[in-house]
This record gives sequence, C-alpha cells and structure tokens, in this order.
Amino acid sequence: MKFKYIGVALLCAFLMMNIVFTQFMVHQFYYENYINVLIFGGLNIVVFPLALFTYKKTKNEKA
Amino acid sequence: MPSDKNNKIPFNEDNYTHNIERDNERKLDRRGFMKTLVGAAGVFAISSLPWGAIAAKELMGLGEKEYPHKKITNVSGLPIGDAVEFKFPGDHDDAILIRLSETKYVAYQNACTHLRCPVFWVKEEGEMICPCHHGKFDVETGAPTAGPPRRPLPEIQVKVENGAVYAVRVKRYEV
Ligand code: FES
Repeated sequence: MKFKYIGVALLCAFLMMNIVFTQFMVHQFYYENYINVLIFGGLNIVVFPLALFTYKKTKNEKA
Repeated sequence: MPSDKNNKIPFNEDNYTHNIERDNERKLDRRGFMKTLVGAAGVFAISSLPWGAIAAKELMGLGEKEYPHKKITNVSGLPIGDAVEFKFPGDHDDAILIRLSETKYVAYQNACTHLRCPVFWVKEEGEMICPCHHGKFDVETGAPTAGPPRRPLPEIQVKVENGAVYAVRVKRYEV
C-alpha cells in the first residue's frame, strides 16, 4: 500500500530525464558538439528499456 | 487452437492497448497511465535517432563537404551599410550579407538561434534584430547581445573577387 505509486513515480522521473536529455541533445546539436549529441541521444535511448523494465516490475502492485 | 480465454472471466489481459477499451473509454487507470509513460519514453528514444545519426555523420567528416562558392552580389550593387539577403549553402538556408565598410563584409545564416525567425539588419542602430522576440545580435561577431537567443549566428566566410562578393563556406563554431 505504501509503495502503490512507486512505479508511477519512477516512470515520471524517467520521462523528466527524457525531456532534459532531449533539450541538451538539441542544444548541443546546434552548438556542433556532436559527441555530446551522441551521449545524450544514447541516454535517451537507454531510458526506454529502463522504463519498460520498471513498468513490468511494478504493474502488479495492488491498485 | 481455441484459446481458453473465454472460460476465465475476467481473463488476465495485459497487452499494450489495455487502456483502449470502449466501455471504459474515459477511464485511465494507473496501469494505463504507466503504459502511456512507457510509450512516451519510447517516442523520445526513437526521436533521438535522427539527431544521433546526423551527429555521427558529421563526426565522421561527411558533413565537411565544400559547397561551390556562390556569388551573392556585385560590389557596386551594395552600398556601405546596406545588407542583402541570399541563400547559402542550400536553397532554403537564409543568409544575410552586410557591408560594414569599404572592404569589410560580414555574412551570417540569419535564422535566429532562438526559434529561427529571420534576423534582419537595422542600419540606423547598427544591430541585427530578430522581430519575433526582439533578440539582438552583434554585427561584428554574430554573438547574441539581447533577448532570448543564446547561441551566435553561424558565420559565413565571404571573399571578394572581380567586383563581386562570394560565399565560401559556413564557419564552424570554435570549440
Ligand atoms: S526567434 Fe528570434 S528572438 Fe525568438
């Protein structure tokens, strides 16, 4: 009961990270720091499996 | 093989369209919400790909290609203090050439670095101004001096030859 919303909280955090990384990625792109673009783009991609994993782990918490 | 789903009601339903159900159209339960969040993360991941691809391409030096020098205007057609707009390097890349003195020309890609409105040259004030949110740029360097833009305008290298001004290439930002 106490951790009912932990999955939602985690996923929201992931989404926030996505937004931040995307923002960085786009800015670094226009600054022509292409290495940083790859780093943030990569992070953005890594977040997706993490989110999927989190969902699978927490979906069965009693609603 | 017939599924035995119908014998178990409610059957254990866990697919990625869980929250799309006509009876409960207006109802988004916690699990449905979480699925939406995961889906959003997926969208972010996919939409990072093109940026990464272009960045990788630039890193491998494929973006370094020389564009053919392009004639912008005749020297005689551009009095000191005036500006002329042109396209460089592509047909959709707006740029502006400003003649500052007898021999000094500067050129920038004039899509504002805030939200890409066209920046124009205001002769009387000696400034480049973006009409959208009053961003201002320094004409000597392209650096933003006021308003929302934070990144300098990309500078275009120009050369004068036989009484005409040519665009040579777009300068890289110094790292
Ligand atoms: S688009 Fe130029 S200041 Fe916003």
